[in-house]
Amino acid sequence: MSESKSQKLIKMVNQIALNMAANGSDEMVADQVAQHLEKFWSPPMKSLIAEQLSVADSSLTPVAKMAIANLAKIQEAKHA
Amino acid sequence: MLEFYEPQADYGTPASTSTELVTLSIDGVHVSVPQGTSVMRAAAESGVKVPRLCATDQLKSFGSCRVCLVEIEGRRGFPASCTTTVEAGMQVRTQSDEIAKLRRNVMELYISDHPLDCLTCPTNGDCELQDTAGELGLRSVRYGFEGENHLVAEKDESNPYFTFDPSKCIVCSRCVRACEEVQGTFALTIEGRGFESKVSAGQAEAFMDSECVSCGACVTACPTATLTEKSIIEAGKPEHSVTTTCAYCGVGCSFKAEMKGNQVVRMTPYKDGKANEGHACVKGRFAFGYATHKDRITVPMIRDSIDDPWREVSWEEAVSYTAQRFKAIQSQYGRTSIGAISSSRCTNEEVYLVQKMVRAGFGNNNVDTCARVCHSPTGFGLKTTLGESAGTQTFASVAEADVVVVMGANPTEAHPVFGSRLKRRLREGAKLIVIDPRKIELVSSPHIRADYHLPVRPGTNVVVLNALAHVIVNESLEARDYIIDRCDVAEFEKWKTFIADERHSPENTEQFSGVPAADLRAAARLYATGGNGAIFYGLGVTEHSQGSTAVMGIANLAMLTGNIGREGVGVNPMRGQNNVQGSCDMGSFPHELPGYRHISDGVTRALFEGEWGVVLDSEPGLRIPNMFDAAIEGEFKGLYCQGEDIAQSDPNTQHVEAALRALDCLVVQDIFLNETAKFAHVFLPGASFLEKDGTFTNAERRISRVRKAMPPLSGKADWEGTMALANALGCKMDYTHPSEIMDEIARLTPTFNGVSYAKLDEQGSIQWPCNDNTPTGTPIMHIDEFVRGKGFFAMTEYVPTEERANRKFPLLLTTGRILSQYNVGAQTRRTENSTWHAEDVLEIHPHDAEERGINHGDWVGINSRVGDTVLRADVTERVKPGVVYTTFHHPVSGANVITTDNSDWATNCPEYKVTAVQISKVTAPSNWQARQKSFDQQQQHLLQEARH
Repeated sequence: MSESKSQKLIKMVNQIALNMAANGSDEMVADQVAQHLEKFWSPPMKSLIAEQLSVADSSLTPVAKMAIANLAKIQEAKHA
Repeated sequence: MLEFYEPQADYGTPASTSTELVTLSIDGVHVSVPQGTSVMRAAAESGVKVPRLCATDQLKSFGSCRVCLVEIEGRRGFPASCTTTVEAGMQVRTQSDEIAKLRRNVMELYISDHPLDCLTCPTNGDCELQDTAGELGLRSVRYGFEGENHLVAEKDESNPYFTFDPSKCIVCSRCVRACEEVQGTFALTIEGRGFESKVSAGQAEAFMDSECVSCGACVTACPTATLTEKSIIEAGKPEHSVTTTCAYCGVGCSFKAEMKGNQVVRMTPYKDGKANEGHACVKGRFAFGYATHKDRITVPMIRDSIDDPWREVSWEEAVSYTAQRFKAIQSQYGRTSIGAISSSRCTNEEVYLVQKMVRAGFGNNNVDTCARVCHSPTGFGLKTTLGESAGTQTFASVAEADVVVVMGANPTEAHPVFGSRLKRRLREGAKLIVIDPRKIELVSSPHIRADYHLPVRPGTNVVVLNALAHVIVNESLEARDYIIDRCDVAEFEKWKTFIADERHSPENTEQFSGVPAADLRAAARLYATGGNGAIFYGLGVTEHSQGSTAVMGIANLAMLTGNIGREGVGVNPMRGQNNVQGSCDMGSFPHELPGYRHISDGVTRALFEGEWGVVLDSEPGLRIPNMFDAAIEGEFKGLYCQGEDIAQSDPNTQHVEAALRALDCLVVQDIFLNETAKFAHVFLPGASFLEKDGTFTNAERRISRVRKAMPPLSGKADWEGTMALANALGCKMDYTHPSEIMDEIARLTPTFNGVSYAKLDEQGSIQWPCNDNTPTGTPIMHIDEFVRGKGFFAMTEYVPTEERANRKFPLLLTTGRILSQYNVGAQTRRTENSTWHAEDVLEIHPHDAEERGINHGDWVGINSRVGDTVLRADVTERVKPGVVYTTFHHPVSGANVITTDNSDWATNCPEYKVTAVQISKVTAPSNWQARQKSFDQQQQHLLQEARH
């Protein structure tokens, strides 16, 4: 996994979260961002962004982190 | 639909739109026609042709030629039938001895100053003057040619596509009126009086030196050989024609491809085509020569490495080689290691097959289309707010608009036939608001002046849209009843609180957008209160990091003012290429199946699985930029690219080239060795639109037939090439005609259920949705309710792009298109259209130029954070200080070497419209340009080796 690719995905998810920020509370925005990722991102992109949650200084925003955690729940529910 | 050549029917004057009928008698026969119809047209509709020269149904009646005289009971003299409107009980005689004598005398005068060279005249057999002389029985001319005449007047052959021979002119003014009424350019006039009267381009200039835009409306209108296509002069009159659809912009003009055998000799705009109604532009009408250009590659080619010479092979070998390499890649790197990119230049049926091959043959969803880099935010934004990823209107609906907003679009250059239609409405008095960083033609041109030009700073569209909405809400100008009735009120109230915040006021946002607050307030009031408001927008809206937000902002404005769901209003995305709408409709995005249904939707997936006999992957595939990244990472190794030149058209060229070089197998299907093909291992020869059957869907959701006018030069239409590859991969396809593909699309797609080739032949075109509820199609959408139910006011927070100007890169570059060239120029560069635009240039404001010591025509270096290139400077006030502009029609320009990887937050549509740059005077091409030239020479050499 190259740094640049994961950094690109981090930038993307932060950008999505920022653009959805006015939609409501952080929790609501995180949920909407997760739905967006689920709907439009390919599985390798979802996996790679999920890995970034465990990276200490990933530069993910708090809402983006919440969104990725929510995405994991969506994925789990789907594959349950 | 082969038809023997006949000029299109002409009723002499335009049809009346009145619903009141008037009954009169013409030559003893009772005729009922709409009130306001001319006597000439009433006669024509009842099967009686009144001779005429200055009249044509494309133009208002003029009454100058005096050939169409008739007798009307109770009226004195001989009224001109073109300027006389019908009245109840009127009794008209179109033939009598006296009328015949009068007409013959008039005709005799015309012919007394006209060369009698009919047998060698280029329009022999296709000339209204000749026909009329015959109809009138003119047998001699008493006046001779001894007196003063115009027979030796000099020809103007300056235009590459048509000649102007004034010796054959009868000064009927049809050309002048066509330039005014149809095209709206006002390039022609009648100069002088009496005998001195003559048609003149500009200020008595050659056509090429005048304001003429070479649309050809004057050529169509000319009843003699005065204005004649050079192709007709060379080849003679066509012998048959095929009705088809233009393959250039998203207007989707209908044409008669007029043929001699398999050779196109003329493209004549089709009067019954609902998108264009008989009009055309310099591209569609004249720039068809690329289809038989010497650069066409008509034999499949393969090679193991891009440093190897190409080897010409049979279709069978090329397809088998590709299938074997793709299978090997999947075997080594996995099912998702290959994918495809389709093109909006291809037909619906072709892009449908590409996505089918990927989903059912490759076994993944790695399919994307060029709409990714243009209008993907339209799909997202309009689906979110209105419920359907498409424009809401017909083009004709603009005739009912009272206030027109043009945002980030340049219709007179990029969608010229619609541009002419819009200008007609503006001349009738509709108001105009232009939101654009540049002074586009609509801001100020003959008889057109924008009421407000909001010169938005690139990257701040959302700021302006929010400010417009803020004014409407805070001044209580919204359509309250409409919103309560049609929209989600709870969401509206939430949005209203957001937009009413003072931070969105014009006074607060002026500092970001550069748009004067007073102008913005006035524009908002005009749009909200001026009657029917119609918004037309283009890539200047979508190609931003906030493209989707801006589209939603536009939809919000339209809902806020009640401007959706009837004639004259609406949200109208101006699609760049001919089939952008269609390629999106056909499931070309990696996350959705045809009809915009998500791939995770099990019910829809089951429908396709049943039809295709496979199990489909339920997860979205890779988008184009994801494919590039994955290729560089070594995870994506095989790509089938049909009809799209990603190496030239996609942003950050060096990144794209690195991705293409990283592929193990790149298959390009195209008509030319385009920039992408230079990185390919397999070249499958494509077919031009003249060589295949299919359909295109234009920006108004209008599905129109593309009909084969000549056999494919390579032996296969593109859909046949895809089918061969799919079969070689084990994905069985056995279509014998594209109509069968459309039947499958209709079976599987609710919005296309009622579409068939038979219905298209019957109706001419169909605007989807077309199904049991709307069997003849849907011209205007969202009439009673929005497709999603209640209209949704989406939040439109402005998030500035990360691409900022600073001391190192102080100017903002934005990109666009020019009238004579199309997209990457692969087609138009191979025509005489390059006469108008032989190279891309950089527009720079005089202040910015002066600061840098740059003069008009100087070579200038353009440096961005990702690359640099060199162009000539065009010092002009079309751009404002701080903004520079260029086009991307020539590969050597390297416009996309400069553009960045930034993209729309929701769709990854690239941010072509905002790149921070520095400009400086230089004396040599950039390093990239030098490398590009060298690489091009190498690849041309490797191509030549294949051909010898």
